[in-house]
Amino acid sequence: MWKVLSSVFLGWSLGANNFANIFGTGVATGAIKYGTAMFLSVVFVLFGALLEGPKCMKIVGELSTLLTIEAFYCLLASGITMTILTYLAIPTSTSQAIIGAIVGAGILSGSADFSKLFKIIICWLVTPIGAIVLAYFLHRSLRYVLDKTITNITYLNYLYSTGIILAGCYSAYTLGSNNVATVTGVYVGSGFLSAGMASLIGGLSIALGVITYGKKVMITVGKEIAPLDPFSALVTILATAFTLHIFTQIGVPVSSSQAIVGAVVGVGIVGGLRTVSAKVVTKITVGWFMTPLSAGILTVLFIKLLV
Amino acid sequence: MIFEKILSPGKKERKVTDNMRRHIQLLCAACDLFRTAMEKDDRNLMRDVIDLEREGDSIRREIISLIYEGAFLPYLRPDLCRYVEIVDNVFDVLGDTAPYYLDGKIPEQIKSECIRIAYFNSKICEMLLITFEAMLKGDDLREKTLAIRIYEKKIDDIKFSLIRDIHKIPISNFWDGKILSEFISGISAISDIIEEASDHLQIINVSMK
Repeated sequence: MWKVLSSVFLGWSLGANNFANIFGTGVATGAIKYGTAMFLSVVFVLFGALLEGPKCMKIVGELSTLLTIEAFYCLLASGITMTILTYLAIPTSTSQAIIGAIVGAGILSGSADFSKLFKIIICWLVTPIGAIVLAYFLHRSLRYVLDKTITNITYLNYLYSTGIILAGCYSAYTLGSNNVATVTGVYVGSGFLSAGMASLIGGLSIALGVITYGKKVMITVGKEIAPLDPFSALVTILATAFTLHIFTQIGVPVSSSQAIVGAVVGVGIVGGLRTVSAKVVTKITVGWFMTPLSAGILTVLFIKLLV
Repeated sequence: MIFEKILSPGKKERKVTDNMRRHIQLLCAACDLFRTAMEKDDRNLMRDVIDLEREGDSIRREIISLIYEGAFLPYLRPDLCRYVEIVDNVFDVLGDTAPYYLDGKIPEQIKSECIRIAYFNSKICEMLLITFEAMLKGDDLREKTLAIRIYEKKIDDIKFSLIRDIHKIPISNFWDGKILSEFISGISAISDIIEEASDHLQIINVSMK
């Protein structure tokens, strides 16, 4: 059972890094206190992991046929890759790291399924674009509806503050449902864990990351988050959550960080702002290549040297 | 706390807006009292203006503490507090100007113009109240802020005419002249501050959209 420690480490890292994506804008706007955000995130991440977590585990398990020890090294390599790239300030995605690691192990054993990989890569590319489009249309349509129905400042205040809280809960749910597969899905594929047990362990480890290290990351990330008005914050969180939930139904784990970047860009486009900078696009593109590549190479090294 | 927020929508916010309404209504009453005191040359009424200024201070403190006890999103709070402080500035100017009336004597040559300014100050306050109510509903404020600017322009025109007329009035000593000068500065500054308050209401209105 010690082998699950690597997935707990990865889940912890995911929870710590992605908590800011769930409630960062809400806390920055002041709609919700940090402690309340943390509590709600833990509850709803667990709900999401347990109720819909297994949906994305199938594709992770089918990428290649792995032994349990190989799965262990995949998770370990992903966790180390995440840590190093985060330290180097290169945007990373847990799902990209684990996929790269599994493919690396699969290439070594000759069991990698590249048709599944193709589907996953398409979904990665579509994630930020989809979030931009969703955020843009959500902003325009919700704004139109609100201007026609609710204009009273007190009601708007209530709508925004309650909306941000509920949207944050939904976002936590979709994080759990979409990303738990990256944490423990590889053990389901190797037969070490059942889908239910994998969801539970993955959900708990993500929750642990939120509780123990989420605040520190949120403070760091929060300095870089552009201050959004309450309505834009609500739309951003909703668009991110919808994007993740759509990909959960498709059965592919994607990056919540890239989804929220896309959502913020989408909201910025509504206001005619230039929120897309060449520097940001370059960083994300580099992350897309470096993360799975680094995790894959590290996995191959671990398996070659230690198995 | 979070359930209270969701299940009792707008309770704290309504308290704040009710108090803000009281604050402006009191300001209208103070300006009206000031004008009446000048028309009737009633020094007791003018002293009551100073009492109303203190009451305005008390309402201001209540509003700000309600805001920081959790009413409205933190995003809005600085703008709301700033608006309340601006309205309180009008009270302060009224409260500072009333003693100048009590200590000095307004020459007959300019008394009617001063009363006209006091009358328009009263009107501009009523307009501010209307603008505030419209802001709460989320209505378009452009026409109302335009009306305030028109009043402010009228007051400025009277003020410039007043300044020209003052030059023709003989002043017996420095302090009589200073008190008269401070009195005129005071009553003509009120419209400028109210214009600033109406601009701030527009900012609050836009920031929620």
